[in-house]
Amino acid sequence: MMNRFNHLPTLKIDVSDKIPFTYKGKTYYGTKGDTIATALYANGVRIYARSLKYHRPRGLYSMDGECSNTMMEVNGIPNVRTETTALKPGMVVKEQNVKGSAENDLMGFIDKMDWAMPAGFYYDTMHKPAKIWPVAMKQIRKAAGIGKLAPDHHMPGKYDEIFPSCDVCVIGGGPAGMKAALAAAQKGLRVSIMEARPWLGGHFEYRSSEYISRQTHHERAVQLAKEVEKTENIRVFTHTANVGVYNNNLITGFQVGKESDSFTERYIEIRANSVVVATGCIERPLLFENNERPGVMQAGCALRLANTYGILPGKIAVFSIGHDLGLETAVALHDLGLSIPVIADIREDGQDPAMLKAVLDRKITILKGWVATEAHGGKQVKKVTIKSVDGTISKTFDCDVLVASAGFTPLTGPLVVNQAKLTYDNHTNFFLPTDLPKKMYAAGRLLGFENAKSIEASGHLAGLKAAYDCENCSIADLGEAKKAMENLPGPARGTKLVTAPVKGRKTFICFDEDTSIKNIKQSIDKGFDVPELIKRFSGAGLGPGQGGIPGHNLPLFAAKYQALPDIKIKPTTVRAPLVPTLIATYAGTNHTMFKRTPMDEMQRKDGGIFRNIGVWQRARYFSKDFTCKKEIENVRTNVGMLDGSTLGKFRIHGPDALNALQRVYVSDLSKIKEGRVKYTAMCNDDGCVIDDGVVIKRGENDYYFSTSTGRAGQTIEWIRYHTRYDNWNFAVINLTDAMGVINLSGPNARKVLEKVVDIDVSNEGFGFSEYKEFKISDTIPVRAMRLGFVGELSYELHVPSSYMKSVWLMLKEAGREFKIQNFGVEAQNVLRMEKCHIILGQESEQRTNLLDIGLGFLWSRKKTGCKTVGVAALAQAEKDNTRLKLVGFKMENNGRAPKDGSLIVDDRVRGYVCTARNSFSLNEAVGMALVEGDMSKIGTRLAFYEDECKGELIYGTVVQTPFYDPDGKRMKM
Amino acid sequence: MKDIKRHSAVAFKATPLKNQTYGDWDVVLEYHGEGDGPWLVDLSHRTRLDLQSADLAAKKPFGITIPEVYCQSVLEKGVLINRMNRIQASIYHLDGQSMDTPKEKEYTDVTEATIFVAIFGSNVFSICEKLSALDFIGADKQTPFLFQGPFSHVPCQIVTLGREAEKSGVVLTCSRGYGKHMIDGILHAGEEFGLKPAGEKRFADWINSL
Repeated sequence: MMNRFNHLPTLKIDVSDKIPFTYKGKTYYGTKGDTIATALYANGVRIYARSLKYHRPRGLYSMDGECSNTMMEVNGIPNVRTETTALKPGMVVKEQNVKGSAENDLMGFIDKMDWAMPAGFYYDTMHKPAKIWPVAMKQIRKAAGIGKLAPDHHMPGKYDEIFPSCDVCVIGGGPAGMKAALAAAQKGLRVSIMEARPWLGGHFEYRSSEYISRQTHHERAVQLAKEVEKTENIRVFTHTANVGVYNNNLITGFQVGKESDSFTERYIEIRANSVVVATGCIERPLLFENNERPGVMQAGCALRLANTYGILPGKIAVFSIGHDLGLETAVALHDLGLSIPVIADIREDGQDPAMLKAVLDRKITILKGWVATEAHGGKQVKKVTIKSVDGTISKTFDCDVLVASAGFTPLTGPLVVNQAKLTYDNHTNFFLPTDLPKKMYAAGRLLGFENAKSIEASGHLAGLKAAYDCENCSIADLGEAKKAMENLPGPARGTKLVTAPVKGRKTFICFDEDTSIKNIKQSIDKGFDVPELIKRFSGAGLGPGQGGIPGHNLPLFAAKYQALPDIKIKPTTVRAPLVPTLIATYAGTNHTMFKRTPMDEMQRKDGGIFRNIGVWQRARYFSKDFTCKKEIENVRTNVGMLDGSTLGKFRIHGPDALNALQRVYVSDLSKIKEGRVKYTAMCNDDGCVIDDGVVIKRGENDYYFSTSTGRAGQTIEWIRYHTRYDNWNFAVINLTDAMGVINLSGPNARKVLEKVVDIDVSNEGFGFSEYKEFKISDTIPVRAMRLGFVGELSYELHVPSSYMKSVWLMLKEAGREFKIQNFGVEAQNVLRMEKCHIILGQESEQRTNLLDIGLGFLWSRKKTGCKTVGVAALAQAEKDNTRLKLVGFKMENNGRAPKDGSLIVDDRVRGYVCTARNSFSLNEAVGMALVEGDMSKIGTRLAFYEDECKGELIYGTVVQTPFYDPDGKRMKM
Repeated sequence: MKDIKRHSAVAFKATPLKNQTYGDWDVVLEYHGEGDGPWLVDLSHRTRLDLQSADLAAKKPFGITIPEVYCQSVLEKGVLINRMNRIQASIYHLDGQSMDTPKEKEYTDVTEATIFVAIFGSNVFSICEKLSALDFIGADKQTPFLFQGPFSHVPCQIVTLGREAEKSGVVLTCSRGYGKHMIDGILHAGEEFGLKPAGEKRFADWINSL
């Protein structure tokens, strides 16, 4: 491990705290504060991975994870951005996308095969014959993977989520962002700052150059950060990458947890009234031959390696830069011991005189109007050729590092994903945001400011504008801030050079996809002349770096190559996530959130096997025999208990309650008598049946009704929606969760119930379709109905949920002598199917109307006084013989039941199976199906086509329904 | 015949220290190890009423005027009344002796329909922001106020009663069926802040401090 600086005030590492980690099976040491990439660099690693297509060696380049160069497998997780991932003790780091090692990759020869892989070569070559493509695709994927994750990989760590609100959200915690936050906070607003790096300060933070007399940029960053941190109404989210900005200023991001945090990563979703984007700039890559060879790095990367992580990037460095940060970097690194034979500055003039003087004072040669044209060295940079920008003169220098950067690129992603437009600006050479969405402002370097005071002032102004949106800032304050800006330097002139004078065969515009300048030319020559098309044809910008490297150069080069008179070409569209992260982070805590019935605990104790059904968890089986033979036979011959609490239950009352019911139910409910249960159904405007249930009249203008489980959540909305113009006076209350329901069914049901209640439950005292209210032990109020959904003597007991446990236990105790048993949803499904009682959603789908499933008898055509939803459509459908009809069928030759959902076919599809089971009550397989009208006649032979049946059909015949107890004697006994 | 008892859908794993019986409810007044807050208290046995009327302005439940502004609440005489919309208000019994349901038809006892919990103490809004995007601390609202929105993805009524440091807190109702998973979610979210189940005494102290 190399010696590291420990005296610089800008350092973020603690060299006394060593952190062990494993790389390629050996133990190495980093220091506290290292990223994985800096720890590897400090240990002499220069080649981190191989590239996607050509397996070219790749090294540290940007330090902000802008490309896939340093993506590695860490603790079994591929594609970890080691530049931005903090080193932790015990990490196991491996190279990815290599055969052998990154140093000696057996696939490296592909780099020489680039002639065979021009842009879009797979479109050209792999479609004839078409059958080659699947084979070729597999081989290509094998050769060009970027990591593998085992399907059973368990993601370690804790992933959380928060949804904070604020008045002003500032994206970017550099000087402009901090000034914006302070300005808004000083107006009394709640402010949040999202900063991608683990600390505030932005591009001031790592710079030891002078901000003002006797204060460095770093010191200024610390000063501002302290001010921000002590401001109570500013909430700082560091190490938090912004991933999206949406309508109405919904801002999303993810935060990487510190050791002291309770989370590994957490998803953050901020709702803000106003937003300031101060994300600054990244460096625009310089385009020359082998511009991604390990040893080539951007100026900010080289400077941060030294100033933040205490690592001198190399011994001898050539600089090829186009901005003053490059000169500043050269001066700083020279002072730390780096030998710099030459600085090739793209600019002929315009350098900061003070910086130029500093360079010359150190006797560093600077060549103005020069640029690097080729990096030499097989795996790492060994020497560099530089040329005058016109390409006429060249020089070559030995070195182990080439600091290369053409200019800057503003990070406009947060603005663009929120629909801001970008327009080329000739002065800055930036694509600058225009037409910003309301309540969204840009500030700082991304607008082209390079002067430190201007950067801060633009942040201050943006913060006040955001405060103005929140009605907490005066016009006078805004005017003052604007005036202050006017007295400061404006945006700096940007370098125009797009590419060094090279042919471009190995000049890479996109590192992730190995897309060279030559590939871009090939794309344009084939007619793909705008970045969006070039991107898709050549692959430039499609990689995991989200277009970070090619984003700005691609439109500039496309304009230059086509000799466009002005640059109307735009960068490719940026989409969320601006920074990718783990799916586990998006999943967050993912709390299980289902409803449980009041009898849930008792049924689990009784061995219930639960399934998630809609929003509920319900006991579907009570044994591992999923045919439920014993449960079914017990109900048919003895007595069983079913938890029916999930049924929707409602009270509707008020002078117009009956009108409201008449509007949505097809039956005439004015005829309901107190003490009776009325079964009825609801349709939608198309006459399609959407719900069924029972209605009970409990008093004058006071009704209790039930709905199916799945419709309970929508019932109140449905009634209110269909009565919205009537100005009716009624109230509806959802009592679904207030009342538990026990369905006590079977020939012995009465014997069990009469032991618990004090009323007469004989057939005469409590007949079929009757309703009674009574109390158990003078305490527990019960609403009881005599129904027969499963085709047997049944009592449906509706009881306040808090009492359900007591009632359940009473019935179990009373039923002990009869060996009462639970039955679950599947047993109920078979029992009711034998009786041909329908379940909506199972015997219907969204096109099925009331008549199709044989419920036309519920429809009252003589109802007066109130239009009913769906009846106009029903009247039309009544004469339509082409509709599907619900039929019952039995299987031929005592065959097995077809699978639910199986198709009914002849020479085409003629219907489908709704429910079919092997019936233990009937000793044969029966079912219900929806079939075309002409197939609904008794005796019609049905052919069933099941999934994966390989053409082997099974057969049944349409029969009379119901299958079980056709006279209904058992439920009326 | 089995003993008749009423059971809340909320069940804490903590060990009760003091209990009291209210009717058929067995209510925990204090748990072992309640800690220093924040706290989660089950109030499901406390009466909740739904009031719906076309002429809500004419109604004065328990002699209290219903707020005119939607989502504004009023806490008087231990009764919390929350204006939900044009025709509807919810009424929670928070303090004092039990509350009888008024005889008028417009009132429906919905105590059984929901769970009812209080979350209060320091960091309560840090817990809330892990479970809901609702803005409990926005300066545009005066306590007490009602939110009708998602909490842990479940539709809830949440009333913010206090926002000052230790006195911060909300009461929350949601469908009874979600009781177990909602409580699991809240406790999990509050784990890092030391959220503990507490008995009703702690709640009474808080309400009296407001």
